[in-house]
Amino acid sequence: MKVKEIEKFNLEETAINIQNANLYYGSFQALKDINMQIKKGEITAFIGPSGCGKSTLLKCLNRMNDLVENCKIEGKFEIGGRDIYAQGMMLQMLRKNVGMVFQKPNPFPMSVYDNITYAPRLYGIRDKSTLNEIVEKSLKGAAMWNELKDRLNKSALALSGGQQQRLCIARALSVDPQILLMDEPTSALDPISTGKIEELCSSLKENVTIVMVTHNMQQAARVSDKTGFFLLGELIEFDETENIFSNPQKEQTERYITGRFG
Amino acid sequence: MDKQKTNTSFKNTINTKKKMTAQETVAKAIFALAAVFAILSVVSIIIYLLIAGIPALKEIGIFNFLFGTTWSPSYDGPASEKFGILPMIVGSIIATFGALTIGGTLGILVAVFLVYFCPKKLKTALTQTISLLAGIPSVVYGYFGLKQIVPLLAKISPNNNGTGILAVSLVLGIMILPTVASLAKDALSSVSPTYYEGALALGMTKEQAVFRIMMPSAKSGIMTALGLGIGRAVGETMAVIMVAGNTVQFPKGLFEGFMTLTGNIVMDMSYAMGVHRSALVATGFVLLMFILCLNCVLYFIKNSQKIKDKANQKDKKNCHKYNFDTASSKAIVYANKTKLYTVIKYICFAATIIMLAAIAYLILFIVIKGIIAFGRVGVLNFLFGKSGAGYISLAPAFVSTGALILIALAIALPIGISAAIFLVEYSRKNSVFVQIIRLFTDTLSGIPSIVFGLFGVIVFNDFFGLNYSLLSGGLTLSIMILPTIVRSVEESLLAVPLMYREASFALGAGKLHTIAKIVLPCAIKGILTATILSIGRIVSESAALLLTAGSVKNMPASITSPGSSFAVMMYMFASEGMYMDETYATALVLLVLVVIINMLVFAIAPKGKEKKV
Repeated sequence: MKVKEIEKFNLEETAINIQNANLYYGSFQALKDINMQIKKGEITAFIGPSGCGKSTLLKCLNRMNDLVENCKIEGKFEIGGRDIYAQGMMLQMLRKNVGMVFQKPNPFPMSVYDNITYAPRLYGIRDKSTLNEIVEKSLKGAAMWNELKDRLNKSALALSGGQQQRLCIARALSVDPQILLMDEPTSALDPISTGKIEELCSSLKENVTIVMVTHNMQQAARVSDKTGFFLLGELIEFDETENIFSNPQKEQTERYITGRFG
Repeated sequence: MDKQKTNTSFKNTINTKKKMTAQETVAKAIFALAAVFAILSVVSIIIYLLIAGIPALKEIGIFNFLFGTTWSPSYDGPASEKFGILPMIVGSIIATFGALTIGGTLGILVAVFLVYFCPKKLKTALTQTISLLAGIPSVVYGYFGLKQIVPLLAKISPNNNGTGILAVSLVLGIMILPTVASLAKDALSSVSPTYYEGALALGMTKEQAVFRIMMPSAKSGIMTALGLGIGRAVGETMAVIMVAGNTVQFPKGLFEGFMTLTGNIVMDMSYAMGVHRSALVATGFVLLMFILCLNCVLYFIKNSQKIKDKANQKDKKNCHKYNFDTASSKAIVYANKTKLYTVIKYICFAATIIMLAAIAYLILFIVIKGIIAFGRVGVLNFLFGKSGAGYISLAPAFVSTGALILIALAIALPIGISAAIFLVEYSRKNSVFVQIIRLFTDTLSGIPSIVFGLFGVIVFNDFFGLNYSLLSGGLTLSIMILPTIVRSVEESLLAVPLMYREASFALGAGKLHTIAKIVLPCAIKGILTATILSIGRIVSESAALLLTAGSVKNMPASITSPGSSFAVMMYMFASEGMYMDETYATALVLLVLVVIINMLVFAIAPKGKEKKV
């Protein structure tokens, strides 16, 4: 069989372009006419109260909503100028290039090594030394090479929660993604682990564009370059993080960040 | 295309989108086909039994068949033949009722003890004992009944006859006890503990809370447990024929011989021809209809409970108008009623002791008699010695049982696992399709083995011309073990956390790849457990095998020749009467096998939930 390489997205300055996006779960409209451009090489945070659609929007970006029944999506989602919901779009190509880290750490019940090489193997890499290289690179990328290099064959489930989450980041990095989606990556973790993951995000953004959903406003303020505030399925305000937190234009935004609801 | 800086490149071994979806579609179609297999099996069992039974019904007339009181096949010609099954219908019903009175009551009481009053340390041991009891082959129960219970009953019987309704009720009662107990236990354990707390907060004692709140809450589950107990009692064959006395007459008293539907089939089937044979198949069909109706009732009980719960949540109109005008001025007395429930608690305790005593008696009897018998026939000689003309040994049983297990698993495992994959991975949860398949899988698992035996005879032996053969027996067994495999693999697939799949999908893996690399490896314990449970079922099976694989004592030459498993071998030794030692020795071998299987299941089964057999 002829081996065909999976291409990457051709990311311009605007990595992700969302236009007139609407999403329905059955008859419930979860996203209302969202328009936003996410810049390459930045960390973008989505904030807002529970149920406001921020996670839903995030999952649209690697089409994880495809798994949800009765989910209808309208509008345009472009990554590097390509419509990811177009007919010819390969899910594999999309998800290889747009990695995801989930709310709860979800390492596979295998060794650390097998967790990280799971995806590379999926993409046809069998060569041992290449795999080793990927493991080292990914773990270094997730700043846990020194912690884990001697226990690569230990079960991933034996790691602490924070380590598991960073391992999940390393696993996502193993296929060299261009964009990383993080769905409340620290909500299940203690403050120290949270700090480590925030540091990690800042160091990753050179190579990877990060989109992060967070419940924690301080986190958004600390880590992100841009912040979008969502309320009841609408994007209320989207601007530089500094502006959002110091000088919000909309009343709802101000009320939310000063803690009056949500 | 822009050049990548990375030194590792990710290759897609599957070329185009089209090809990938084609592969996924084919896989999905195969899984769906496997899932439909249960439905096909049930439907074809009904159709084939009906087709083969129709000649008899035509000849005899449905009314005469169902309500005729004489059953007398003869070779003189059709004129003198009579085939009425009413005595056997009555016999089956009374035997089932007797079994339910003894086994059902004990089973529920044991379940209550196990869930609420059993010291934690004993819980596992007791659960294991119950599943051991469930795994013991019916021939062993039957022989125990014949050698111990019948003589005992003969002493108190007015006519010095121990066989009959009482003996059958006792043996069947012990046999359905584990079914009822383990299902009732599941029902009780799934009652929300908040009810219990609520009851205690009102000042109830533990006993009151258990009997007034928890048991009523588990009512539909307990009814289901009893229903499945009825199914097992009605369908039981081998144990019954050993202690029933087997005379075709209405059961006149506790100590009079009688016949059940199942007994009649297995006793006559080997030599019956023409209308007689067809009448036996029709008898099987009647039995099948009874079981199907029972399943419908159980399904209804299960669903009506759900509907009721829903209605109760919604229904606000259903408020009673209370009349407060007549409130009496009598002083209210809050009586202490705790004693009654304490007594019931001790009854539960007693039931458990009775069960343990029964199982201890049975096991000691088999072990002691078995060891003595082995001493007489010689261990190695009997297990692996020469067989065939003039020689008796279990060597053919080892080979035959092994062959039956291999054939049945080779067919049922792939189909069962595929079906489970379809149910869990490819269909919407609780969609109509899934519910239908579950219903049919449950139905299939409730069908008595004698009916499977008849189906095997009609389809594999006659239609496909396999005659009495291991192949025919193995094929029949594969349908019998399918529901066990589907259900327990399904359960273990459901236990694999959704987030593993999500993570794999998010890395770009396809469905098939995720199933093969993530889901199945996680579920491997469940699959192994299903396999071992199936082996247990095969080892203890006898009625279906007697009809399909034949009853011979010699070594099978190939899979197309007849062969007897341990259980069938034991039945032959027992029924011929001249092989007492061999019977006991084989019983011991069976018991050891069952214990080993139980231990394996205990060791392998996913922790946190005990398997019901």
